[in-house]
Amino acid sequence: MRDVALHASLFAAWLADTDIGLFELRTPNGTLRLGRQGDDIVELPVEPSDAQGAAGAALVTVKAPTVGIFLNGHPLGNAPLVRIGERVAAGQTVGLMQIGPLLLPVAAAEAGKIAAVCVGHGLSAGYGTPLVELQPL
Amino acid sequence: MIEVLSSAALATVQDLGRTGSLRWGVGTSGAMDNLALAAGNLLLGNALGAAAIEIPVFPFKVRFGEDCAFALTGADCAARLDGQPLLPWWVHQARAGQVLALGLPQGGAQRGTRAMLCVAGGVDVPEVLGSRSTQLRGAFGGHEGRSLRRGDVLRAAGAGAACKTGFGLVPPALAMPLERDGLPAVRVLPAAEYAGFDPASRSAFWAGEWKITSQSDRYGYRLEGEALRPIAPMELRSHGIVPGVIQVPHSGQPIIQMRDAQPSGGYPKFGTVIEADMWRLGQAPIGSRMRFIETGWDEAVAALDEVRAWLDKVARMVELHRAAPGARR
Repeated sequence: MRDVALHASLFAAWLADTDIGLFELRTPNGTLRLGRQGDDIVELPVEPSDAQGAAGAALVTVKAPTVGIFLNGHPLGNAPLVRIGERVAAGQTVGLMQIGPLLLPVAAAEAGKIAAVCVGHGLSAGYGTPLVELQPL
Repeated sequence: MIEVLSSAALATVQDLGRTGSLRWGVGTSGAMDNLALAAGNLLLGNALGAAAIEIPVFPFKVRFGEDCAFALTGADCAARLDGQPLLPWWVHQARAGQVLALGLPQGGAQRGTRAMLCVAGGVDVPEVLGSRSTQLRGAFGGHEGRSLRRGDVLRAAGAGAACKTGFGLVPPALAMPLERDGLPAVRVLPAAEYAGFDPASRSAFWAGEWKITSQSDRYGYRLEGEALRPIAPMELRSHGIVPGVIQVPHSGQPIIQMRDAQPSGGYPKFGTVIEADMWRLGQAPIGSRMRFIETGWDEAVAALDEVRAWLDKVARMVELHRAAPGARR
């Protein structure tokens, strides 16, 4: 953790010149989270668990399992895989990640109602990017 | 064990084809969409040319007698496994007793016409003359040398084996689209008797729209458009022909030889659909319209390289994913 913390000011200075809103660095020694508050870059507390949504409510965030292009429906179909308000089962495919020719499923971690789709169809998403928010049942 | 539940008119076991036997008068056969077959096999970790079931008529239903991984490629047929919708161009896991049902091809302009059902390890039928393809004319190869019937039982060579499932591919029709003036197109090399056709007919061939008539099947596609007229009548002795050859009979309405084409013919040859585009033709629906693009030898070879590069990339990405830890089964 010490190593990571030592670099916090370095990353903060670098982030100040970018349009990045949230920066998370995970290393074997610990995790560093930096966020933007107005013009300042501040260190944020580490999230207790992946299941805790940023909104603080009981929403469950489904995050990108890989780097890729987020698709909310199959490229052959016109219909999205899920719609807001729709109930999904645990493990159900709620979106796809495209990496070159490969399509990987984005699975709902638990049963719930789709509260939001956070990334537009066809936009690139980094590892861990929140893709879909679920209201647990 | 995979039991055919529907009267599966014209569904056949196919692989990449029986090449090397034309000299004995044995046609090539093989999957009409060889890219769908190869991609489905890659998804399962099979050999590229493992045998699969080609399905041109719907609905089609099979019951899996044991746990078996399978991949669906080719036409998107709104498949369901025990009623649960399945993604197209995807590798799935069936459990013993589950029923797979394929409906009508979906997808508007991108609609295909033949679904490929690939199974773990490939469909286990005997190899005849180096291939497991069904040779319908000769009534050998595939499953008893014929199309499948209700009650037929096939075996997947890799049934029961662990196989990573739950992922898919962007279909090649989207990755490598080919259109001309808003219609699907294939590239054609002018053939031996091309120069014997009237110049107006030659330009009409490239400029016009061609309808795939209802007299089209695995043997050949009969097209309808502006009749192609020879400068002078051509009488030829029968000679060897291969899938892709476009013949022009006296009516002037061309015929494209497909995978079950007989190995010889005597009609003048206007052109040849390049090998790299035969999979596109294999998915073109009856009644649809298409265009031809004139091409040359170098472009035809480059097109084949493009197809191979796509398959190589798919093989590499799928292999990485199949080897990755955290397998979803």
